[in-house]
Amino acid sequence: MFLQLLTNGVNYAAVLFLMAIGLVIIMGHMKIVNLAHGELIMVGAYVSYYVSTVLKLPYILAVFGGFFVSGLLGLIIGLIIRRLYGKLAETLLATFAFSLIIQQGVRLIAGPRSQNVNIPLNGTLMLGNMRVPYYNLVIISVALLVLLLTWLLLHKTKIGKQIRAVTENRAMTDCLGINTQRVDMVTFTYGTGLAGLAGAVLAPRSTVTFAMGVQFLTESFLNVVVGGIDSIFGTALSSVLIGESLTFIGGYWNDVIAKVLVFLLIIILIRFKPEGLFTKERR
Amino acid sequence: MMKDLLKIKKLPVNRYIDIAVFLALILFPLFVTEFRVDQMCRVLVYIVFALSIDLLWGFTGLMSFGHAVLFGTGGYIVALSYTLIKGLPWHMQGAGYTRIPAVLTPLLSPAIAFVLALAVPGLIAWILGIFIFSSKVKGVFFSLITLALAQIFQTFLDGQQVLLNGSSGLGGLPRSILGSGAIPRMGFYYILLGVVLLVYVFCLWLISSRFGAVLQAIRENEPRLTFLGYRPNRFKTAVYVISGMLAGLAGVLYIPTVRIITPLEVGVTLSTLLLVWVAVGGRGNLTGAIVGTIFVNWAGFLLSEKISDYWLLVLGIVVLLLVFFIPSGLVGKLIEMQYARQHARHKNAALDGEVLS
Repeated sequence: MFLQLLTNGVNYAAVLFLMAIGLVIIMGHMKIVNLAHGELIMVGAYVSYYVSTVLKLPYILAVFGGFFVSGLLGLIIGLIIRRLYGKLAETLLATFAFSLIIQQGVRLIAGPRSQNVNIPLNGTLMLGNMRVPYYNLVIISVALLVLLLTWLLLHKTKIGKQIRAVTENRAMTDCLGINTQRVDMVTFTYGTGLAGLAGAVLAPRSTVTFAMGVQFLTESFLNVVVGGIDSIFGTALSSVLIGESLTFIGGYWNDVIAKVLVFLLIIILIRFKPEGLFTKERR
Repeated sequence: MMKDLLKIKKLPVNRYIDIAVFLALILFPLFVTEFRVDQMCRVLVYIVFALSIDLLWGFTGLMSFGHAVLFGTGGYIVALSYTLIKGLPWHMQGAGYTRIPAVLTPLLSPAIAFVLALAVPGLIAWILGIFIFSSKVKGVFFSLITLALAQIFQTFLDGQQVLLNGSSGLGGLPRSILGSGAIPRMGFYYILLGVVLLVYVFCLWLISSRFGAVLQAIRENEPRLTFLGYRPNRFKTAVYVISGMLAGLAGVLYIPTVRIITPLEVGVTLSTLLLVWVAVGGRGNLTGAIVGTIFVNWAGFLLSEKISDYWLLVLGIVVLLLVFFIPSGLVGKLIEMQYARQHARHKNAALDGEVLS
């Protein structure tokens, strides 16, 4: 029981990480909270439905398709809300407006009925008494891969260096002749693309509907509050923390109580660590 | 006499709108069908709710994405009270209860239920306020946490099968207030309108008091207020409690108006739509909250009769255009225009060499 819950928790953590990472990158870099994030995950899920279930193409194409379609939508959103930079309430309202538009737009195109996506890799790995579905391993691997690639992108490439520079000091970076607006758009596209990727990977595990976005949004938000917005490893660690606690409390008690308890713990936590658990102390 | 007239002329434009709106609301039921009166009753409840968030968001700058939690708490307490008064509900009988558990007996008194429906949302706001505002949590995190709270509240209500009938909610409730008999439709409308007027006057009094001035100072420049020796956290918590109790009151009124309450009706959607109403009307001047709520809700009622839920697509586009072209909202824009005109007139008068009083 204990080990089973532990592995289930790792899977949940991977799911949480995939859902939140795009949001964290955008929030950390541009200080914009993207309320359409959940809807971009939903778009990724629909892309995977069309590519894998309707067109019967290999699943890997669905994942890339989700990334590109959501990234493209994200780029459009980013270009439009660029003018609102630095205005909190306005960006929240604008991205909320986009979430409504995407939601109803998808409903208009794909219809109001919910869809199911076939799990591309069936079967279960038996480790003693533990049951680990193969697809869980896929989700965990994808999460690790995204973590690795994002780290490489931020730390080993030129654009990554520029992204970190803008995050540290926007005005100074601008003065050094770097096109910060271009950097912003690259970041926004990458972050929203990751939302689409998450949607494509998670689609086989959920019912795909136009209204599915909002549940992703809140779980990602809790993740952001715990992990802070400064580092992707903070997000990864807080995903593990939240994922494991939800699975364990849910396993021994029930899911609703797990959510309420974890939320209360987070409220108490931010009283003492407002910047998130895994953020270095600022001077 | 002349002096009094001048005083009236100096009133900001939105107070005239308030008077016009209230007059229109008094006359409204005389010209429409009963169905429309019922719809307007719902809007009146939402106006109380919108005024509560305007205190918090418009005047203090705290953008809560989870205000429906406080609304829903108030509503569910009263709904449970009404349900229990009718007798042991079937969803509790099904769970093996043969009589109402002792913990719930206070709810058999409508007066106690009413007090609880205001006090519990206030208490929730107070606890959240203590934890969130006392730390150095920045504005945006307040929004994130409250949005998560709204989602969790909805999940929580869905899971309360025995007590609150889960996702089907509590229905079949009477149109009565504080244990009275069933109130006729017209009478109920005017009672609601009276409550809206009282709440409006209360908000007006609150924001023109010293307390209200501090709230607006928090919105404008919090660090400076701290330097002046105020403790913004206490004021933030206080206004959150007041706003929460008003939201609870709106929830209480919602029950006899709509006569059913479900988790979906008091979930994330209501929390975010509430912000849209206030944003469309314009935040931070009370009138905007009233006008925006009436405008968006009626647009919703009339459009969804024609194009069902796709009206949300229209709403999304309208909000987007609004944010870019009229960020201060409809009423906010009018106030700005009046201010600009007065400013220009003063300038002209000064140029003409007249003495300004």
